[in-house]
Formats: sequence, structure tokens, C-alpha cells
Amino acid sequence: MNSEYLILFFLLGVILVGGAIVFSMFVAPSSKNSAKSEPYECGIPVKSDAWIQFNVGYYLFAIIYLIFDVETVFIFPWGVVMRDMGLTAFIEILVFFFILVLGLLYAWKKGALRWV
Amino acid sequence: MMNLQDFLTMRHEILLILVAVIVLIGEIFISDKSKHVIINLTIILFLLHTIVGFLPIQEGKLFGGMYQNDLFRATLKNILNIGVFIILLQSSAWIRKEENRGKISEYFILLLSTLVGMYFMISSGDFLMLYLGLELATIPIAALAAFDTHKNNSAEAGIKLILSSALSSGILLFGISMIYGTTGSVYFTEVAANFGKESLQILGFIFFVAGMGFKISLVPFHLWTADVYEGAPINVTSYLSVISKGAAVFIFTIVLYKVFGQIAEMWNVLLYVLAVLTMTIGNLFAIRQNNMKRFLAFSSIAQAGFILLGIMGSNAAGVTSVVYFMLIYILTNLGAFGVVSAIYNASGKEDMRDYNGLYKTNPKLSLLMTLALFSLAGIPPVAGFFGKFFLFTSVASLNDYKYYILVLIAVLNATISLFYYLRVVKAMFIDPNDNPIPYFKTDTPARIGLLICVFGVFLVGFVAAIYEAIYHFSSFI
Repeated sequence: MNSEYLILFFLLGVILVGGAIVFSMFVAPSSKNSAKSEPYECGIPVKSDAWIQFNVGYYLFAIIYLIFDVETVFIFPWGVVMRDMGLTAFIEILVFFFILVLGLLYAWKKGALRWV
Repeated sequence: MMNLQDFLTMRHEILLILVAVIVLIGEIFISDKSKHVIINLTIILFLLHTIVGFLPIQEGKLFGGMYQNDLFRATLKNILNIGVFIILLQSSAWIRKEENRGKISEYFILLLSTLVGMYFMISSGDFLMLYLGLELATIPIAALAAFDTHKNNSAEAGIKLILSSALSSGILLFGISMIYGTTGSVYFTEVAANFGKESLQILGFIFFVAGMGFKISLVPFHLWTADVYEGAPINVTSYLSVISKGAAVFIFTIVLYKVFGQIAEMWNVLLYVLAVLTMTIGNLFAIRQNNMKRFLAFSSIAQAGFILLGIMGSNAAGVTSVVYFMLIYILTNLGAFGVVSAIYNASGKEDMRDYNGLYKTNPKLSLLMTLALFSLAGIPPVAGFFGKFFLFTSVASLNDYKYYILVLIAVLNATISLFYYLRVVKAMFIDPNDNPIPYFKTDTPARIGLLICVFGVFLVGFVAAIYEAIYHFSSFI
């Protein structure tokens, strides 16, 4: 049993997190004005409250884009080892594509690609 | 290098993914008018998958030991399969409703993907796979809990589930990171070999128990349970309380025995406290509930406390009693949920007072509900008694006076639980009601599901071969 490590672990956690907050309190220059309390300090001024209807189409596009973005990320390492692994790797990437394309077809069928 | 032989080892997972993909293809290519075909298609495909699951499997380890399959794990998956099959049958009437048009196949795909996650969780050979499986088993469930888009409390259930499981996953990962940091590995076998009872390792272990405690809804971590169970659609609730809890209990048992076996005395104390708290608080809260879903939620918390007793047994009989109890619990609880869901689908009522005088109008359903509740309470002729009996025997076999006290507390709690289970029985048989729920005919799939539950509740209790078989498979842990 070496519980001193545990104590050290906790102390370091408290010191690092608490220290950063306290340190920035002393060091950082503080300026108070009305623009500070805005949700977005830079950008369009916020006019009404947040409970308004807005188009969720952006999110659908972003998610579908993300799927194919991640797909690309997977293809790069696959491309590196493809020659060594041979046919197995080829079949596996086809299965991967197949499932992703099914996802795109599903989104298409549900009308996620139609801009309303 | 993977070859075809390796794929046979993970046959359960691949077949289930195949079923989900077929349902997805169906969703894409079947026209909107005939979408109902998907319901029967999924049920038939899943039935085939369940049957194929019982065929002998090929044991082995894959991906460098991250994934492993053996007879024990295959048995656990088959038990989950039976439960999911019953849930699919029961949800058929609900998913057919007009309000769910346009999201039929989504329900099945989400349900099946959580099951894939549970398979990987049970078959995991290291903490990373365990975590990945756990996430795959949790995130789609949050979408399922928020499935009734026209109801506010369904959305509330979804957001509560995702927030609390995010927190619990964080705690679990923190614990795993400590274990990884001190042992230098995430593989179960290597962690077990390098486990030196250092305080940081113990701390990591406690975080791990806390993270799993959220999923099994043990008492200090149970606060999400009642609200999520109440808000979620009733078939999702039964899925949460039976399948998701079952999978978490299985992997929790496996990890406690395989990885943390050396500190068994230590986690026995931990589980002792958790078991007493879970049983007592779950029971005391269940007494006051009037909504059937909340009532079953607290009842399932109390049952989780009983399950911990079996895990504490720390031997092959202990594992057997846990798996055996889970099998009975799945059949019994699905029986109770099946009746509640049938009544809800027919009349939209889920309050205990609405059940007054149910016996006069729907005698068969009332008798079935009584049977399920007796089994949950543990009254002798039905299987619930045998399940609880083996759990208590396994912890009493530790032969220590403090465990006898634990058994005494458990028996007292079982008696308290009898009170609130009988409250429902009293409502159905004795309490008068001027306008009881009128007679209705349950749809055929739900009938088949309830029939399986009834047969199971008697069969599993009386056929000793089932216990023997589970005992045999448990030696493979």
C-alpha cells in the first residue's frame, strides 16, 4: 500500500485546477462593460430570447457531412496497409462503404437532403 | 490476420448486425404504405437469430484478446436474446399505432444496435471494448426513451438518461484510466496479473463500481431510474429494466470475478453496503408509488439489490445463481410489463387505481399479472422463489455471521416487497370500481409473448436441467 501517491494525486489535482483559477484572477487584466455580459462577445447583437423556431436543417446537413468526413479519416490508414493485407482489406472496406451508403440512402429517403 | 474461421467466433454479433442492416434496407426500399411488413419481418428474423444462437459456437479470442467468446458468454447472449424476442412481440401493437407511423424501422434498428453493444460488452476481453460496448448499448437507448415525440415527459426521460449516463461513463472511464495507469494494461488478464492492491488501483476499482452501479441502478446511483422509466414508452421501459440491466449485471459479475478476484474480501464489503441500501431503499420507495411504471422501476431497483447477494457468493454457485436469477427475472418482469403494456395500448391507463376491478372484466390478464407479481415477490410454486433461494444460499455459503445477517435483511426485504406486490393484486381482485377498464382482446404477438413468459416462469423453476446447464456453463467464466 502506498497511499502517499494517492494523496499526491489529489493534492496535484486540486493545486493544478485551483491554482490556474486563482492565478488568472490575479494576473489577468479585468475590464467590465456591457458587451462583456453578451452571450457572444463578438458577432451579431442578440435581440430576442432563445425560444424561437429555427431550421434544424443545418444540423442534419452537418451530421451527414460528419459521417462522410469520418469515413475519409478511416480510408487513409486503410490505404496505407491495403497492399499488405490484400483481398481481406478490400472486402472489409467494401462492407464499410456499403453500410455508410445505406446510411446516406436512408437520409435521402427521409428527406434530410431536401432544403426547406 | 482475420480469416473466415474467426468470423464464426463472433457469429452472434455478425448475425445481429445483419438483421439490423436488413431492416435498414427494408426501410429504404419498402414503400410507405406497406411499412408494417417490417414489424413481422424483424420479429421473424430475430426469431431465426435467436434459434441460430443456440447452435454450438466456436470458442476463441479475436483482435489480440479484445474480444472473446466462449460457452458462458454465448449462454448469456442467448438469455438476452429470449428477452429481446419477447419485447419485440410485446411492442408490436404499440409500434403499429398511427402516432408511430414513419418511425417503425427506427425503433427496431435502435433496439438491435443496443443489443449489439451489449453483446460486445459481454464478450469484451479488455476495458476498452467494455467501454465501447457500454456506449453503444446506452446512446441509442436515450433516443428510444425519447421516442414518443408528442409527449413532454418522454423527451425529459431521454435527456435525463443521456445526461446521467454521460456522467456515469465519465466516472467509469476515470476509474479505467487509474487502473490503466497503475497496471500498464487494459486487458483483463494482464490487469488481474498486475493488480497489486495499491490505493490508486483500489480507487480506480471503486470508480468502476460506481460507473457500473449507474447502469444496474444500485442505490446511491439510482436517481435517474424512476423518472426515465416513467417517461419512456412502456416497451422501452421494459427493455431498460430487463435487458440493459441484465447485460450490465453479467459483465459486472465477469469483471469482478476475472479481474478483481484477488480483492474479493474488499468488494464483498462494498457490495454488502450497496446491497443493503439498494434492497431497503428500493422497497421503501416502491410502497408509495401509484404509477405502474414507477412502481415497477422501484421494484427493479430492489431486485438489483438481491442480485448483488449472488455476486458476493464468490464461487461458481454464485455466478450460477446470478445468471439463473437474471433468466427468471427477465421472464417474470416481462410478464408484468407485458400486462401493463397491453392495458396501456388498449386503454391508455397506467395508474394503479385504474386497475381496480380488472379481474371482473379481464380475468386472464389479471391472473397473469398475479402470477408475475408472485414470482417477483418469490412465492414458492413459481420460479421467482427458486431464483431468490439460490441467491440467498450462495451468500449464506460464505459461512460467516455477518453474511447470515445480510440474508436476514434480504428476507425481511422480500417480505416488505410482498406488501406492495400484493397491493396491485388487491386492486385487481378486491377493490370495487364503477367503471373498470372494459374487456379488450390482446393482439396475437403480445399473447405469444405472454405465453412464453408464463411457460418460462413455471418451466425454469421446475426443470432442474436448466439450472444444471447454467451451472455447467458458469464454470467457463
